[in-house]
Amino acid sequence: MLLSFAQWIQFTTMFTALRGSANVYPIVLSLHMIGIAFFGGMILMTDLRLLGLALRNRSIADVVNQFRVPKRWGLLLTATCGILLAGSKAEEYYYNAFFRTKLILFAVVIVTELVFYRSVYANPEVLDRTPSVPVNAKLAAAISMLLWTSIACCGRGIGYIEPPLDKIHAQIHLRQDCALRAWRGPYSLKGQDHQDVASTN
Amino acid sequence: MLITNPLNSSALAFPILECIHIVGFAFSIGTIAIVDFSLLGLGLRGGSPAQLARSTWLLTLGGLVVMLFSGLLLFSSDPDMYYLNWAFLIKMVFFVSAVIFHYTIHRKVVRSEVPTSNGKLVASVSLVLWAGVIFGGIFIGFLYPGLSVRF
Repeated sequence: MLLSFAQWIQFTTMFTALRGSANVYPIVLSLHMIGIAFFGGMILMTDLRLLGLALRNRSIADVVNQFRVPKRWGLLLTATCGILLAGSKAEEYYYNAFFRTKLILFAVVIVTELVFYRSVYANPEVLDRTPSVPVNAKLAAAISMLLWTSIACCGRGIGYIEPPLDKIHAQIHLRQDCALRAWRGPYSLKGQDHQDVASTN
Repeated sequence: MLITNPLNSSALAFPILECIHIVGFAFSIGTIAIVDFSLLGLGLRGGSPAQLARSTWLLTLGGLVVMLFSGLLLFSSDPDMYYLNWAFLIKMVFFVSAVIFHYTIHRKVVRSEVPTSNGKLVASVSLVLWAGVIFGGIFIGFLYPGLSVRF
């Protein structure tokens, strides 16, 4: 189902145009990278503040609260560009191990945000009142840094894998053909052996 | 004498260096952007940009050093290609301008405790220059060597 969705979406008019476009694709990719610099920079600084390694002359509450809205704008830019990039090569990305890993890491990010939301991000003022930053806040920051760095690296990795779509398609047709034979009986596709089916696709 | 670059004998060296390069620019350009946005009145408020710059300059410099050295190593993998790639040349123009701008005019405006009227202009120029570096970097991979566009 996901696969057929991927195949459908990449052949919609918008994504076909984006894939074939000479300049728009790299421009969207550049905007994605600018989003990483701005949005990723704010994430790193928030995490480093929680770890007590940067922006120490500002309160944790200031850093967490005042970066919240700009981070959302950054996420909006990066995610929009990312969806445009992924959508234009959706079927290839479906098979791409780095893309799959990246999606799993996003799910992990959401889970960790939910886990630490109440104790760390919802009331950062509390963290300023304690003499030292609580362990769970530091843990949240360390996990966040690790996850976002891994996500950036996975993103870079996507470009290094090119799933062989021709071979995959041939194999899918072969499998469908076998299923068809099993269903219709052994003599329904006379004169066609596996090799023929594979090579005609 | 033929010298082989060990970078080219490993398939993983280039992508790993690229990741380091990306994390380097997230630190350097990220921290510069935070200061620029505060000059523009966005993001971190309540303190002066000078105060912000005092706590981020080391990360900016560290990020720049990481970015520069990983970039030099990436460049060494195929110098001829980069030399003939106009996106790379534009990137270098933006990069050198951005670094010079950052450590001269930008620094002076950010460090001045009294808010100057051209703070917003300086912040915008800085953001545009660094965005230019990123655009140039991405377009390197979309051009064929030899000053022509591949598509």
